[in-house]
Amino acid sequence: MIPRQLFIATGVLLLVAIGMSFYLWRLRSSEIQNQNTPVVTQHVAPPGGSVEQVTVWVAYDGSGTLRTQPVSIPISSGRQRRAVELLRGLVELYTAKNSPHPVKATAEIHDVFLIDPGLAVIDVNSALVDGQVSGVLAEELTICSIIQTLAANIPGLTRVKILVDGKERETLAGHADLSGAYDVGQITELAKQLSSQ
Amino acid sequence: MRWNRDAARNPYYVLVLFGTLAICLGQNPSAQIAPGQTVNPAAPLQPAAPAPALVMIDAAHGGSEPGALLNPAIPEKDVTLTFARRLRQELAARGVSSTVIRDNDATLTTDQRAEIANAARPALYVCLHASSLGTGMRIYTAMIPAAGGDNRGPFVNWATAQSVAKTRSLWIQQQITTAIRNNRFPVRSLPAPLRPLNNIATPAIAIEIAPTTESVSQLASTDYQQMVCSALANAIAAIAPALRTKVPIQ
Repeated sequence: MIPRQLFIATGVLLLVAIGMSFYLWRLRSSEIQNQNTPVVTQHVAPPGGSVEQVTVWVAYDGSGTLRTQPVSIPISSGRQRRAVELLRGLVELYTAKNSPHPVKATAEIHDVFLIDPGLAVIDVNSALVDGQVSGVLAEELTICSIIQTLAANIPGLTRVKILVDGKERETLAGHADLSGAYDVGQITELAKQLSSQ
Repeated sequence: MRWNRDAARNPYYVLVLFGTLAICLGQNPSAQIAPGQTVNPAAPLQPAAPAPALVMIDAAHGGSEPGALLNPAIPEKDVTLTFARRLRQELAARGVSSTVIRDNDATLTTDQRAEIANAARPALYVCLHASSLGTGMRIYTAMIPAAGGDNRGPFVNWATAQSVAKTRSLWIQQQITTAIRNNRFPVRSLPAPLRPLNNIATPAIAIEIAPTTESVSQLASTDYQQMVCSALANAIAAIAPALRTKVPIQ
């Protein structure tokens, strides 16, 4: 005859084994789900919570205009790092749900290089360009929004060049010229016109 | 015929001789030159060349470059070509001569388009685009300052060729915008970083046509195309006398 204690111990061990199996199955399922979800880079504020308010120029496709909007970005020590954070803050508005100027969710700013005297080179990824609505006004809004946001918050810029995945490209999405550097004075004038109409 | 002394005395021979001389003198232009008049001996006799078209219409995109997909069935290249042909007809009906750069589904680079326009030197270059964004028409000029290009005498910098004609382009943009606005049609005028506008050394504008309703298929509607091209042709015909004179516009 099997002793009673042994019978109880076997039952408890069996229950633990079933529980462990269920837990492992849940862990595996959630891991598979995480692997299938695309990685979206979220730019969070540093742990200290030090953020600053900046004004960005946001394109609105519906009205074909530019509007200013305050956003919070992490405070950066360097000028170049601040330029990157500024544009990432702007692109996050465009990748968000109900965006006024939709682009692909994976659109991002690779880097911004500030080269003296007064030249900035912005390197964007191809998702930002390919996911953009093609057209003269739509592309003009994108260019103006990016350059004006940068120029208004980083003093001393006179020219801005845009690269796609580190390379020169002829046009943004078939219309707006990317072959040369943009004059900041002309973009500021264009931003005024696009804001007022 | 062998000439001899008797022949000179024959009145018939003398008559033929004088007649031939008179005909030769009549055909020789130098025989009819008045005293003091000069003639350029090197000037070739050529048939009169046809007058260049006043307006050159460029249907943007084409061939392997479809432009924007306005909807899956309507590529921008087809819409611009239809508008270009219709605008040509409307201008002709108003007595304004025009030509189109692309009259089929050909692939042309922006540099090739600029080369064609710069060789023909029309009084106005009009590039047509279409878009699903916004409403009505947008009239663009090149985004470069007037007379700011690096031009040296007869040599015009390719990248800033439009600077020599920018003042006139701005005047044309303003005139066409006002004329279309007077017809209560939605229209905006803006500068645009759009090629080949910068590379064209004559007055140049680009026009982006959008629907006035929510439906982008309006761009393919004959009625809408007719209305837009008619309004544009009226506006261009109104400034045609100024375009023909080619005098500087202040």
